[in-house]
Order: sequence, then C-alpha cells, then structure tokens
Amino acid sequence: MMIISARKYAPALKMIDEVNFLKPQKSYLHNGIPVYMQKGGSQEIIKIEFVFKSGSYHQEKPLQAWATANLLKNGTKFKTSEEINQLWDFYGASLQVDAQKDITSVGFVALSKHLVTAMNLLLEMIIMPEFHEDELVTFLKNRKQKFLVNNRKVQYLARMHFAELLYGTNHPYGKRLQESDFEKLTREDLVTFHHNNYFPANCICLVAGNYPETIIKTLDKSLKKFAWENIKLNQVPEHKSEITPKPKHLLPRPNTLQSAIRIGKPVINRDHPDYHLLSVTNTLLGGYFGSRLMKNIRQDKGYTYGINSALINLLRGAYFFIASQVGRDVKNQAVEEIYNEIEAIRKQPAGDAEINMLRNYLAGSFLRSFDGPFMQSERFKEILLFGQDYSWFQQYLVTLKSFQPEDIQRTAEKYLHENDMVELIVG
Amino acid sequence: MVNFKRYTLQNGLRLIVHQDTTTPLVAVNVLYDVGARDEHPEQTGFAHLFEHLMFEGSVNIPEYDNALQMAGGENNAFTNNDITNYYLTIPRQNIETALWLESDRMLGLSFSEEKLSIQKNVVSEEYRQTYLNQPYGDVWALLRSLVYKVHPYQWPTIGKSIDHVKNANLQQVKDFFYRFYRPNNAILVITGDIEPDYAYKLVQKWFSDIPEGELYTRNIYREPSQFQERRLKVERDVPFDEIYIAFPTGTRLENSFFISDMLSDVLGGGRSARLMENLVKKKNIFSETNAWITGSIDKGFFAIMGKLHKNQSVEKAEQLIWEELIDLQKNLIPERELQKVKNKIESTNTFAEAGILSKAMNLAYYELLGDADLLNKQNEKYFAVDDVTLRKAANELFQPSKASVLHYMAND
Repeated sequence: MMIISARKYAPALKMIDEVNFLKPQKSYLHNGIPVYMQKGGSQEIIKIEFVFKSGSYHQEKPLQAWATANLLKNGTKFKTSEEINQLWDFYGASLQVDAQKDITSVGFVALSKHLVTAMNLLLEMIIMPEFHEDELVTFLKNRKQKFLVNNRKVQYLARMHFAELLYGTNHPYGKRLQESDFEKLTREDLVTFHHNNYFPANCICLVAGNYPETIIKTLDKSLKKFAWENIKLNQVPEHKSEITPKPKHLLPRPNTLQSAIRIGKPVINRDHPDYHLLSVTNTLLGGYFGSRLMKNIRQDKGYTYGINSALINLLRGAYFFIASQVGRDVKNQAVEEIYNEIEAIRKQPAGDAEINMLRNYLAGSFLRSFDGPFMQSERFKEILLFGQDYSWFQQYLVTLKSFQPEDIQRTAEKYLHENDMVELIVG
Repeated sequence: MVNFKRYTLQNGLRLIVHQDTTTPLVAVNVLYDVGARDEHPEQTGFAHLFEHLMFEGSVNIPEYDNALQMAGGENNAFTNNDITNYYLTIPRQNIETALWLESDRMLGLSFSEEKLSIQKNVVSEEYRQTYLNQPYGDVWALLRSLVYKVHPYQWPTIGKSIDHVKNANLQQVKDFFYRFYRPNNAILVITGDIEPDYAYKLVQKWFSDIPEGELYTRNIYREPSQFQERRLKVERDVPFDEIYIAFPTGTRLENSFFISDMLSDVLGGGRSARLMENLVKKKNIFSETNAWITGSIDKGFFAIMGKLHKNQSVEKAEQLIWEELIDLQKNLIPERELQKVKNKIESTNTFAEAGILSKAMNLAYYELLGDADLLNKQNEKYFAVDDVTLRKAANELFQPSKASVLHYMAND
C-alpha cells in the first residue's frame, strides 16, 4: 500500500541521453537513382517513396505541380483510372501523393507481401501517365468546390493571405490561388510539367519498413519494364520574394464568430548556426502545450481553443508564424497578449523550472519523432533535402543539453523582435 | 497478433500490458467508461468539459502537463458518445511519472471555480471553432437529432448548446468525478518496452490505494424502432448543397457491425468504392461522397454523404444514391470486389498494430467491449462474411421507412 504523502513528489527522472538513429543503407538503381533503405519495425509492412526535387516553386501556372502529381493515378498508357484505383484498393495498399512547394513525393505503404505489385503500379503511374482531358476536367471541378468551401473558413484565408504578405504575389510561395485558376489549367500543362520534372536524375527513392534482402533487385526488375529517359536538368527558376511594407493587416469578414490571427516574419533557415536555438525559442513561445502563448491565451484567459507557433522550413526561404482562432470580441486583447509574450521572452530570462521542462520535453519529442522506420525515414528525408547529415541531429541534441536562458533571450532579440512582425487578422 | 497480459487490482481497476521491444517509448492509455450518452439531457457537453478539467490539477500535482513534459512525455484525450479516453507516450525510463500522474488524477482533482470558468470559455471557443464558425459545422448535430428521438446519442459530444456548458457548476463537476472516474470504471493499458509483471508491480504501487466507487448501472432509454421515413431540409450560408441519408444499425457487439461496416466499405471505402466511381466520377453529380457506420456501443447508424455540384438537383442526387443501395439489395457483390474489401481490412488492421499508441487505445476499447482479445479476432469476423449475407443485410438495412434524410441547402 502506498503512503499517500509519497505522491507529493515526482518520481525520479532519467533523461534521454541518446537517440538510436536508424541510418539508411545507400544503394543505386540501375538507372542511377539513389535508394536509401531503413529496415525495421514490428509489422510486415513497407513504405516506398520517390521524391522529385520539383514542386509548385518550379511551375509556370498555378495548380500545375499539384494537378500533375494528383493525376498520375488517373490513367496510364495501359490502365484506366478505375483500374488503377481498383488495384491499389485490392492490394490494400495506400497510394500517397504529396505535392509541396519544393518537392513532390509519390509513394505507397503496403503489406510487404504486395511489394512487387505495388511497385509495378507505382512506376507505371510515375513513368507513363496519360493525363486524360476528361479526368482533368472532373478533378478540377471537384477540387474547385473544395477550394470555394475553404474560402469561407477564416483560418484558411489567414494562411493564404499571410503567405502572400510575406513573399509577395509574384513569388510561388506567396501567390494566392484564385477561383479562375481552376479554369486555366490544360492537359498540355500537365504533360509539360511531367516531362520537365519527373525524370530519374531529378529524384531519390526512400524505402522503409520490413523488406527482403533482395530489395534492390526487386526494384530494378520493376524499373526495367519501363523506358524512363533522363532529360537535361532544368535551370531552377529565380523568384524574388517581396515582403509587405505595412506591418498590420485586417481582412474583415463580418459574419464570423471567430477571428483568425497570424503573426510572423521570415527567418533563418536550417543551415544557419543559430537555427537550433531558434527552434528551441519557438517551442518556448508557442511550440507545445506548455508554451507561453498556450498558458496565457488559452489556459489563463480562455480566449481560444488553441494557439501555436511554428517554423516553416522551405528550401528557398523559411518563416516563423503564430496562429490562432479567437473569439471575435477578444481579438484585440489576444493580439496584445501575443506581443506581450514575445517581448517578455526577449526581456526576461526564463526560470530554471521552465528551462528544464522545455529541455526534457524537447528531448522526449525528438526521441518520439524517430519511433519506427517510417518516422525515421521522414526525418532522414528532411536532412537529405537540405543537404545535411546526421551530425545536424547530433548538434540539435548538444543544443538541447546546453542551452541557457540567456541564449533564448539573445535568439529572440535577434530573430523574433515584435517590431519586425507582420500581423494579419481575418474576421 | 497483439499478445498481452491482463490483471485486475483489488479496487477493480483493470490493467492490460503488451510488450513491444522495438521502441524506446511506452504508451499509457486510461479509458473511463463514460461518454456523452451518460449525460443529462439538460446538461449536455458535460463529459467533454470534464475531460478538459482533468488537465487542471489533481490532489498532489498542480499542473498535469508541466509534470509530463518534464519527463519528456506527450499526451492528449478525446471524448465521444461512449467513452472518455486519455493517452500519452513517454520515454520508457520515465514510466513511473506517467503512473504517478494518472493515479493522482484518478485519486482526486483540485476542483476550483476559477479553472472551471476558464475551461468553460475554452470549450465555448472550441464549440465556435469546430461547429459554429465552420461551413457545414452543424451537419452532425442535425443528423443525430434526426436519427435518435430518445437515446442520448441524439446530441453531439460538444453538447446541444453552448449554454449547457456555460451553466455547469462545481458541484456537478465533483459529482461527475466521483460517479464515473473511479478505478472500477476505468481500464488502464500499457504498451511498449516494458515487462508485464513489472508493469503490474508499478501499477499496484500507484493505483491500489485509490478507493473504488459505487457500481454505476447504466440506465439509458433504448431507441425505438423506426417505421417511417424522416426528412429535414435546412438552408445555410454555405456555397454548395449536401445530402445525408442515415439508417439505424445494430450495436457494436452484434455480428451485424462487421457486415454493415463492409457494406460501407463497398460504397465509400477508398477511391475505387462504388459511390466514388459511379456518382463522383462517371455521373459527376457529386464532388465528394462517403459512407460509414458510427460503430457506437449502443445501436448506431449507417451514414451516406454526398456533396453536390452546382445546378444539380438534390432529389435527383438522392435518387442516384438509392439506385446504388438497390443494386446491393438485388445483386451479389462480385467475388473480387468482396476480396478487395477484405484485403483492405487486413492491411488497415496490420498498420494499426505498427504503433504502440494505437495498440494501447485498441486494447482498452476491446476490453471495454468485453475482451481485449477481440482485437485479434477482428479479421476472422470480417473474413467470415459472404456475398449472400451482405445482400440480405442490405435488404434489412436500406429500407425507405427507416431512412433519415437531410438536405443541407446553400442559400445563395
């Protein structure tokens, strides 16, 4: 039986001193595509992903990169869209298409026993898509509807308009989607984007989970069924970002019960020596449940269901933002409190208890982000795309163990000054 | 296959432990057998509000989240109509912190007026953010109140109105706690790299002095059978019309659960499902469709959803959905299609077993249903269903006199 008073004291803690990185094995497919393999996990499942180093940053028209990626599944030279969907579903495999700003990822997760079938199908889609006109028309019509519904949501509007304020309307990171964009895209645009970006020298392959020793042979056998030509690597277009000169913006939406708030600014990217400290500083401010913003604006004031801040790492320009939806009647108070919190981080050193909590929370969170081969693969993808290696993670751990309150103050002063922020309120 | 050991403490707390040595973490899941169905019709939203209060300090620990974060843990919780479920993951070496935290808030909360008042505000904002300030945000509430006339499933977890949440007082909070948050009304599951008997020892250390509560007997009115079609048409400030059709199904423990779940997969599971292929792609009357079952413990319902394109008639859309249902009533599902549905179920269940957290949640839920080992018997139950059974079930399920139809119309 427990003595009740023993509950007064927390059990002794043991902190995380190391994280087991499942470093990938590297090999090459016969056409030169590098393959990174991370084996493990309790289940007989596998994830394969082709990552192309092209995204909406590389497109000539809005929606081009996204529609190209999403229509790979809507018919190939040999199969109709229905046949492809039937096959994925029949093998209980799930196709995963993710068209981002800098990259496009096309892959699947499946039971390991269906590896060959899934691989053949994936490559057929990647290499020989047909982009039927009628498939494109239906796709755009359906997605336009989703877009119009999203346009009624304050948080969606805030996200889109905020990116435009930070990068400018001519930059692909900032350009806002318009309803008319859904009418302008043609089949030809998809064929062109596919031709210019989906070629072997522009991609890498990631394999994770439980796979056979003969995986490279298996992949090569699939690959050899297709003729997949390289083209000359395109010159990456240069776009100049242009941040708004005005710090405060309001987009009125009279009939909403809540207002969406976004406050933020461009920041240093992942290869800057201060990045890890900035990441820690962001967490203290708004990156976890125990953050200053959450404590003040949700837990003390009850203005919101949630508030958070984050660093967004794009290859050609990172940014920091704070986001929340708050009661319309308290939006000004909420904004004021946000600035107070930013200022407080700069002006006063954080206490030991808070620093310890932050340190330990981040270490646990770091450990958690490497749990299992699929997550290990995600984290490896990050460093690979940014041209980094595992020492970047090691440095992060060193930062976690050693940072001091004054490091946070200094970092906030340098990168998160309230006077440099762009503010947007929708609603 | 998820192996586990089961223990019961003297105070009635049930413990399930599953060891998985492939991870440096452990997951802890505490399920309380209380949900929105246990609420008074004039105090709806209470179970969910209470979930928020479980993070506002317990007898010996002023801040749950601080203490957990200090140990490198992360947590969350959800409330639905049947259960309230709390879960966390933590580096395995700090498992005792998790048990200290969970046992202390099972022992007692700190109950303060001020914290109650703040969480009432937070929940009100959650209500606004997820229901009122979202296009189509009230669909679910409308559909529930159409399908259920007597059973408490008629209201959503967040509550019938914000006023119910705002009217909650501290005495009600205390009563609720001592009625439902007792060890004999809870199931604790630990998964991850921990030896079961060691886990049991730790659980005994932290939980065995928590007094058990009075046995709670659930006394809920059963929803009477439906003999007449129900219809509701609403107009809202949204850009497109939507249609919902619902049919009552059986309870979670009946075999019909698996059968109706498979029918919902035939209609709405994945891109190759019938509603997608026929009504979104071929006829393109909808931009999006879906079909699913609620899977609640008491009698649930089967729901079909379609988002209409502009200038399509909702009556025509409804007719086309009916044609799909009639097809299932008249014709057998082809062998390959049935195999597809079964394959999908097999992989979904395999993927769910890849993470310690989803295993912990599932074990707790199946233990509540009667036996955690049901988790390992799911596949067989689905695999045993054949085409004739599905056709028969479609005939029983999809009757016009049992339908609840919601037309959610755009006002512009």
